[in-house]
Amino acid sequence: MLSRVADSLFWMNRYMERTDGILRMLKTNYALSQDELQYFSWQPVLKIFTYLSEEEAAAIACQGRTVLQYMVSDKENPNSVLNIVTQARENARSVQDHTTKELWQCLNDFYHTVRDEQLLEWLYKEDPITALDILIKQGLLFYGTSDITMARGEGYSFMNIGRFLERAIQSADILDVKFSDSKFDFSNVTDTTYWRYLLLSISGYELYLRNYSGGFEARRVVEQIVLNNHFPRSVMYSIDQMSRYFERLKSEQTTSAYNSIDFMIGRVKSRVRYSTPESIMQQGLHEFLTGVKNDLYAIGTALSQHYFAYT
Amino acid sequence: MLTNELLNGYCPDANTWDEMYATGSVRQQYSGVVDFLQHLSVEELGKKEEQAKRLFMTQGITFTVYNSGEGIEKIFPFDIIPRIITASEWGYIEKGIQQRLKALNLFLKDIYHEQFIIKDGLVPLSIIYSCPHFLREMVRFPVPYDIYVHIAGIDLIRDNDGTFYVLEDNLRTPSGVSYMLENREITKRIFPDLLPLMNVRSVMEYPNILHKNLVSLAPRQNSNPTVVLLSPGIYNSAYFEHTTLARMMGIELVEGRDLVVDNHRVYMKTTAGLQQVDVIYRRVDDEFLDPLVFNATSALGVSGIMSAYRKGNVAIVNAVGNGVADDKAIYSYVPAMIRYYLNEEPLLKNVPTYQLGNVEEQEYVFKNMNKMVIKKTNESGGYGMLMGHSASDKEINDFQTAILKDPRQFIAQPTISLSSAPCYMNGKLQPRRVDLRPYALCGPNGIRIVPGGLTRVALREGSLVVNSSQGGGSKDTWVLAV
Repeated sequence: MLSRVADSLFWMNRYMERTDGILRMLKTNYALSQDELQYFSWQPVLKIFTYLSEEEAAAIACQGRTVLQYMVSDKENPNSVLNIVTQARENARSVQDHTTKELWQCLNDFYHTVRDEQLLEWLYKEDPITALDILIKQGLLFYGTSDITMARGEGYSFMNIGRFLERAIQSADILDVKFSDSKFDFSNVTDTTYWRYLLLSISGYELYLRNYSGGFEARRVVEQIVLNNHFPRSVMYSIDQMSRYFERLKSEQTTSAYNSIDFMIGRVKSRVRYSTPESIMQQGLHEFLTGVKNDLYAIGTALSQHYFAYT
Repeated sequence: MLTNELLNGYCPDANTWDEMYATGSVRQQYSGVVDFLQHLSVEELGKKEEQAKRLFMTQGITFTVYNSGEGIEKIFPFDIIPRIITASEWGYIEKGIQQRLKALNLFLKDIYHEQFIIKDGLVPLSIIYSCPHFLREMVRFPVPYDIYVHIAGIDLIRDNDGTFYVLEDNLRTPSGVSYMLENREITKRIFPDLLPLMNVRSVMEYPNILHKNLVSLAPRQNSNPTVVLLSPGIYNSAYFEHTTLARMMGIELVEGRDLVVDNHRVYMKTTAGLQQVDVIYRRVDDEFLDPLVFNATSALGVSGIMSAYRKGNVAIVNAVGNGVADDKAIYSYVPAMIRYYLNEEPLLKNVPTYQLGNVEEQEYVFKNMNKMVIKKTNESGGYGMLMGHSASDKEINDFQTAILKDPRQFIAQPTISLSSAPCYMNGKLQPRRVDLRPYALCGPNGIRIVPGGLTRVALREGSLVVNSSQGGGSKDTWVLAV
């Protein structure tokens, strides 16, 4: 497979995963803002998903519709849904001979949907949930389409490596930023709405209720988001999946490049797997998450050095 | 007679061949479609037109116009009413193109080797050597199977008596074939069951034939040669076509930056290291192909690719240097070539062409400017043209000055009125001018022409320019089996 093609497929899926993350985050936070009695700050969301400085974020953090506008359709925001979907589509366009026609059409539809005037009208003036749901559904269609139509070859592996790398980073980020709100002092956080929406924003609420009956507790939230291998958005699950798809590349290529990345993935995998909620708390959640994120970033860099370099 | 409001008032220009309508009645080949259309209301047809537009948009069959920093998606305008060609018309076209292409291939081989046709005085030496597309790099280089033109798009038009004329031979990187294929797919959706009912021949074979031809050119003895399509990239207006063809043939779509030449071999950069490339179907013009040989500033090409080509380590399709055969000044010698190389009378006619380098012909053209079309010999896509009948005095003067300065750069042809075909516009059928570009594929086993082609339409009333860059559209083209 061409290096350029592998690169495009990898990033196409990273962009799509990010889009999904942003949209879900916006949806739950909007809902949360309607539950709040007075002051609701979008600051954590802006911190995770935009490049705004503290001051710039603070300036718009309390204006829900402005934040929605900035994060969904602002052309100046490189991480707006509009811009990332456009990027993903450009990537898909240049690798049309490696994806299926259905997958291309799905992204093409997404692109036209996110530019739809009517939809943006809903988002900014009427009920934003309706619009966000439509967009989230487009993302789900993308996953379904790639699952059903894509051949299980090298390209599919690179797509999934991109997708799960992005997801692992996102989940770690969300946890990190959310808990930094409370200065990592977990005894401070007694309000159940806080936990509920944290879990809701990554679709982990129902699972939490089923697994833990005794109410909300920081230790358990960390356990689910970092360590629970049955939770598809947990850091552990994402790394396991990434590792699984990476291993499939072995038959195609058994050089030193493969081995060095294999080593890096194995190390971060062990770092997470052989942790317990207690050991993480002891080390400090922020320090632990930072370490994991740095390992993941390094894997991304190594992939582009060894597999994607073409210029 | 026509009873439907849709067909009422369909009135082709006098002195023009209409594809559907002849002296008050519908031609045989259109009667089935007309019957079908008569059962549809204007609303239904309007819906079909909407559906076609939506299909193009959702399938991303668009080209992007980049301006003000933002890409705007545009659809190549599509008219839902098919253009119909009878079996006997097609038989004639097919034979005519095969004959012409055979002669053109022989001409290219001759011109890059012994140049018998010049020595025998049929084609003047000066006209070959003054052509910027005559490339010395190709001289005495034996291309595989002596095939220079693997893919040709020959533009045909019909004069007022229905005779087919060749307007242009496109022998370099003819485009538009994906629209031939996609237009057919759209027709299947908007007119269900109509194609089999009308006995329309399929165009599906095109990618298979092309792929087979490409594979057969591989220079290495290899059961599974690497064939790639070299595209200038996503900013090219034909990018959609490149991706479509690559997918339909199951070959790799590459850009210049994906390829590298080492020791006169071409490789592509893959995740598993370098992989040798055997055949390149390139959609990059000669000029940009190799910055070491041609345009040094080209970022689209591959450095050293010409050396690999000349060593015979890679096949390039179409061959480099074909522009000397579809140059508009050389066009007028094609009938002579057919007689010279094949000892046959040309089946397809040439539009009479005046060489402006010739004093008498130039004088005649200047006297009759308003009846002429002046074309620059090395421009395509409808650029650099003067339509004498509609040009202002100033435009005519400007062209005359330019011609006098460098007569080799121009030719003149009498204005030929293109045939018209019905188009669905504003709720009724209206005649618009059309041409026809069938795609001929030339491989080691002969020349195949898929029964169909791209019918281009001049969407503006009365316009004779069908080029998409000049506001033209297209139609599905049906070749009937019986």
